[in-house]
Amino acid sequence: MKGAELVLKVLQQHGVDTIFGYPGGAIMPIYDALYQSSVKHYLCRHEQGGAFSAIGYARASGKVGVCMATSGPGATNLITSLADAMLDSVPVVAITGQVSQAVMGSDAFQEIDVLGLSLAVTKHSFMVRSVEELAATLNEAFAIAQSGRPGPVLVDIPKDVQLADIDYQPEASTSVKPAPVATSLANAAKARALIAAAKKPIAYIGGGVHMAGAMGQLQQFLAANPMPSVTTLKAMGSVAKDNAHYLGMLGMHGTQAANLAVQQCDLLICLGARFDDRVTGNLQKFAPLAKVIHVDIDPAEINKVRFADAALLGDMQQILPAISAGTDCADWLSHCAQLKQQYGWRYDHPGERIYAPLMLKQLSERMPDNSIVCCDVGQHQMWVAQHMRFSHPRNHLSSGGLGTMGFGLPAAIGAKLARPQDTVIAVSGDGSFMMNVQELATIKRFRLPVKIVIVDNQRLGMVKQWQQLFFNERYSETNLSDNPDFVALAAAFAIPGHCITRKDEVESALEAMFTWPGPYLLHVCIDDKDNVWPLVPPGAANEEMITETKA
Amino acid sequence: MNHVLNITASNTPAVVERLLQVTRYRGYQLTGLQMTPRADSRSVAIKLSVSGDKPIHLLTSQLHKLYDVQQLELVSAELAVLSA
Repeated sequence: MKGAELVLKVLQQHGVDTIFGYPGGAIMPIYDALYQSSVKHYLCRHEQGGAFSAIGYARASGKVGVCMATSGPGATNLITSLADAMLDSVPVVAITGQVSQAVMGSDAFQEIDVLGLSLAVTKHSFMVRSVEELAATLNEAFAIAQSGRPGPVLVDIPKDVQLADIDYQPEASTSVKPAPVATSLANAAKARALIAAAKKPIAYIGGGVHMAGAMGQLQQFLAANPMPSVTTLKAMGSVAKDNAHYLGMLGMHGTQAANLAVQQCDLLICLGARFDDRVTGNLQKFAPLAKVIHVDIDPAEINKVRFADAALLGDMQQILPAISAGTDCADWLSHCAQLKQQYGWRYDHPGERIYAPLMLKQLSERMPDNSIVCCDVGQHQMWVAQHMRFSHPRNHLSSGGLGTMGFGLPAAIGAKLARPQDTVIAVSGDGSFMMNVQELATIKRFRLPVKIVIVDNQRLGMVKQWQQLFFNERYSETNLSDNPDFVALAAAFAIPGHCITRKDEVESALEAMFTWPGPYLLHVCIDDKDNVWPLVPPGAANEEMITETKA
Repeated sequence: MNHVLNITASNTPAVVERLLQVTRYRGYQLTGLQMTPRADSRSVAIKLSVSGDKPIHLLTSQLHKLYDVQQLELVSAELAVLSA
């Protein structure tokens, strides 16, 4: 068989039945092999969108997402999405065609040094030099993408390798298994002692918990060691909805209760998180009274930005039971419950205009169980994190580390294909939506019943908010009041839609959206003066939040 | 502060670029580089001399994660000064 056919055979051996991609000259042999393959290919309309769909597929399902692109511009268009997968630790295998080896290095048509470009945005990358090494390389790519801290892996395959003949006999166990996680419990006793001695412990939960499959162990840990908990953006949905001690998201746009409690705590138990700057605010002033227990799978995260008094490396499923010590902090729990009550969200926004936090709360309450919400980036993203509740982090796909506008719509496509039985909602802003709007064509082509909610303030709202607060209201290039008619735009892709401007229209509009069997676009117009509160200003400690009344 | 890292790595086309990219991105300056393919040419011995104000573990922990890196040994800072 040809190398191109071998690629598809190996993908099938890894259980891949869904690929996102876009054809082109240097990857034509693989697309030719695809023509008669049972692997289902979803044609995106821009390689960045295809790779975001692969990320959405991976994040919603826990499986490896696969995307393909041709050489040159096809490959460079993947770079942003690979960077997104890198910063959010998403297992993705990207396959790129490359010009034939005979002309490599000659600035051939659509030739670019993809291996060189990949260094900063992948966990690892390969250039395949001969058809004999093709199967082993692909197997390694899948193993690396899933092992330890997951991440994207790129495999660049020259056209002559795709066209070369090989007598391929799949081995009985073809796949290189992901390397087993080495777990050290050496510091477990120290961690237990810290937990037992703590008067004000708090669990700071990141995406590493659910990615380790440790959701069950987390609930057991929080039940056996009652303590307040906070989550990062990526971990929203990690704490069971009935856990009374959960305080919400922490950080720049976190809840006041979460941030105040973390600032006051005497023990911070960091589980699969990395002290990101959007979480810590001013690092020197972050949780100043706290000792730290840090549990992670990536040794490089330990002591990277915050010293850990006890660090445990490895498999979260094993570590959580091993550090359970029992807590005795009734006063602290009631103090935090009081903070939560004192600083609860208010939805009594005056006037007739739609208040996005309330609209999203209504959406959250109305959406079917196990719905997946895919966000874009900006104000709407923070409102979703603040005002919607999720039962699992795989139901809330948001570009966290890279903060990539244009993520939401293509991610929703991938999520819908990964979990066709679940409702998928793309919540976007008017700025973000336009960044990968071409993927409406993908929704149309495959008749994907994705629900799209555009929160439209005719601004690049988050940048506008910062201009208002920190740049003397000099609104440089953030006015989008000449947006297209989004409902008409959707109609051009055979997607029905509806536009609402008043609060009293929200409930019926949401009902119409969920009742409609196919894709649907709900255009929600909001006031451009609404901002995201609270906000920790740059350089400030997390207790120095600005709220709407203070601003 | 100067440091010398003795690294054994797979002899892949981009291995040196990977080491240098991580070194630069993590905020260390390259002060020396020696590379010798091993006899079987499947691995290379690389001596990387770097300087930087940050603790060196912030670099070594990231270099360790590179898939091509097989072994990494940090030579003591005093020796690093002598050899720099």
